[in-house]
Amino acid sequence: MGDYALGVNYMKVVTGVVGNDIHVVANRLIELSLDARGYEVFNLGVNTYLEEFFDAVVETGAEILMISSLNGEAEGWSREVKLLKAKYKGLDDLIMMIGGNLVVGTGNAEDIIPRYKNYGFDIVCHQVDLNTGLDMLETLLEERSIKSSNTIKNTTKNKTKNTTESND
Amino acid sequence: MSLLQEEREIILSNEYVDNFDFAEVTEFVKNASKDLFISHHFKNKNNKKMLVQPRGGFPTYKKQFALNEFFVKANVDVLPLTIDSNTRLNDYATAKKMLRLSEENDVDMLNGYPLVNHGYRTTRKMITHFNKPVSLRHGTPDARLLIETAIASGIFEIEGGPITYLLPYSKNFPLDKAFLYWKYVERVCANYSKLNEPINRESFGPLTATLVPPSITIVIQLLEMLLSLEEGVKSFSVSFAQQGSMNQDIVTGAVIKKLAKYYAEQINCGDATINLVYHQWMGAFPTNKDHAEQLINMATVIASMVGADKIITKTREEASGIPTKEANAKTVANTQYTLGILNGLPNVVDEEEEEMLTLQVKAIMEAVFNDPADTLWRKVFNSIKNGIIDVPFSPHIINHNNMITIRDAKKNIRIIKRGNVPIPDRCYAYDKAQCDLTKDTTSIVNDIIHDIGIMQ
Repeated sequence: MGDYALGVNYMKVVTGVVGNDIHVVANRLIELSLDARGYEVFNLGVNTYLEEFFDAVVETGAEILMISSLNGEAEGWSREVKLLKAKYKGLDDLIMMIGGNLVVGTGNAEDIIPRYKNYGFDIVCHQVDLNTGLDMLETLLEERSIKSSNTIKNTTKNKTKNTTESND
Repeated sequence: MSLLQEEREIILSNEYVDNFDFAEVTEFVKNASKDLFISHHFKNKNNKKMLVQPRGGFPTYKKQFALNEFFVKANVDVLPLTIDSNTRLNDYATAKKMLRLSEENDVDMLNGYPLVNHGYRTTRKMITHFNKPVSLRHGTPDARLLIETAIASGIFEIEGGPITYLLPYSKNFPLDKAFLYWKYVERVCANYSKLNEPINRESFGPLTATLVPPSITIVIQLLEMLLSLEEGVKSFSVSFAQQGSMNQDIVTGAVIKKLAKYYAEQINCGDATINLVYHQWMGAFPTNKDHAEQLINMATVIASMVGADKIITKTREEASGIPTKEANAKTVANTQYTLGILNGLPNVVDEEEEEMLTLQVKAIMEAVFNDPADTLWRKVFNSIKNGIIDVPFSPHIINHNNMITIRDAKKNIRIIKRGNVPIPDRCYAYDKAQCDLTKDTTSIVNDIIHDIGIMQ
């Protein structure tokens, strides 16, 4: 964990709640936690459509897209992920993560996870607590050894960030 | 013809309105029974008894009527009329379709009463039949047509406001438009208030019901009150919801009462009646229905300690969806029982906390008033835009979301990051000193999750 504090892992994440879902609480907590772990967060908030997510990834050059859902409507949207993503160029290396309540009503993770992987997600968290989910992301990043390549550009940014915080 | 009247005629010539008869409605309000006006009840409360009001709305006239019958049997003081979500978004076409489906199939296809579609002539029959004050509960940014229909129906209390009905409910609706739409509401309420007893306006204090610090709640209550009074409204209720600490609730009640009077006098509106409304716990509810009842009961005790003029109830079925009329009426009866046996309450005063909260509120209010804009609504708009007012967990894009709050050991909500909100240094240091901030952010996030679900 010490690494993050030093600003070693400063990657860009686009996050938000998909569809007409207005449940905002977890969305804010995801932003706080990602920030604490040293990511640069672009939070699109609740009520965000798929196109907006991909547009934001292109605009910010984010390496990670983290979609969440509470009311379960994610499933309906997720079916369109592959089709839509293919329309954008250069998103092949984008890490796709989804979490929250991923079905309307009840369902079990063994069925849900493969289905969502099939929709094009690398990490699927159905009713998994926030920190466990974020740890899963870390593990994947380490496996793909993406972290180290991002070291250099982070140092200055993190310094600016710390200054802002100490003002408060 | 005045500009307002011109606008009213445009609003009321809507295809979903069946020939709005201005003269007839004016006559109706002029001669309406005093019992329909909650402002009249607030003025003449016997022994200062707190008024009890549930929440509730069903799509069909028949079901709404039946719900009201249950409430009256349970000795309700104020009847609610909760509006469905399509009407809240001005989608009267969908509301009409869903109402017809609900009527034909006996299944509720709407989460409330589509007042505009029912119309004022029909609804007025129900309101005058029960002859109890009715409170309009909605969440509508553009409530112009809705409140015209409500008042014409005999509903003389209108909840909401440009800030409190927008920041907790919407991501994109333009806040500046909401201010102008609500200005219309205030003016119409003010004009009708001259005919009989005043129409009461009530602000929605719970906001996001998620770790909102009392200073932010009070500032928004005071600002919506001032926006209303400056248009001529003569009866206004400020409100807040149970926060999780009895002491913090009592302190909040004391400060909001004192400051509401103070600021009303500052704009020469000291003649308006200001009431205090307390909402039973608005956050995540326990799924255990017996526990839910205990929580509701405790809220009633706290409301009495706070000295509220009205309490708005929850039900034991809160965690599981829209409550049945039986469960809803049961809460009313239980709350009335608890109020009846609550005697000899102690007078609790915490001067230090009151001072701290007062300083916070006054500092934020001063910053709002110091905005260079020419009118109050523009000052408030700018203050939200630049983060002087920041509501934790608002989904709206205009909200800064830079304030972070957490509970201390006594479950008081404390500000640990103030963002751009001008919390005085002394108060900020005091708030932070109550909390354990030596933890890392991950533990603090876990604490926040726990603090949100404190009642579950």
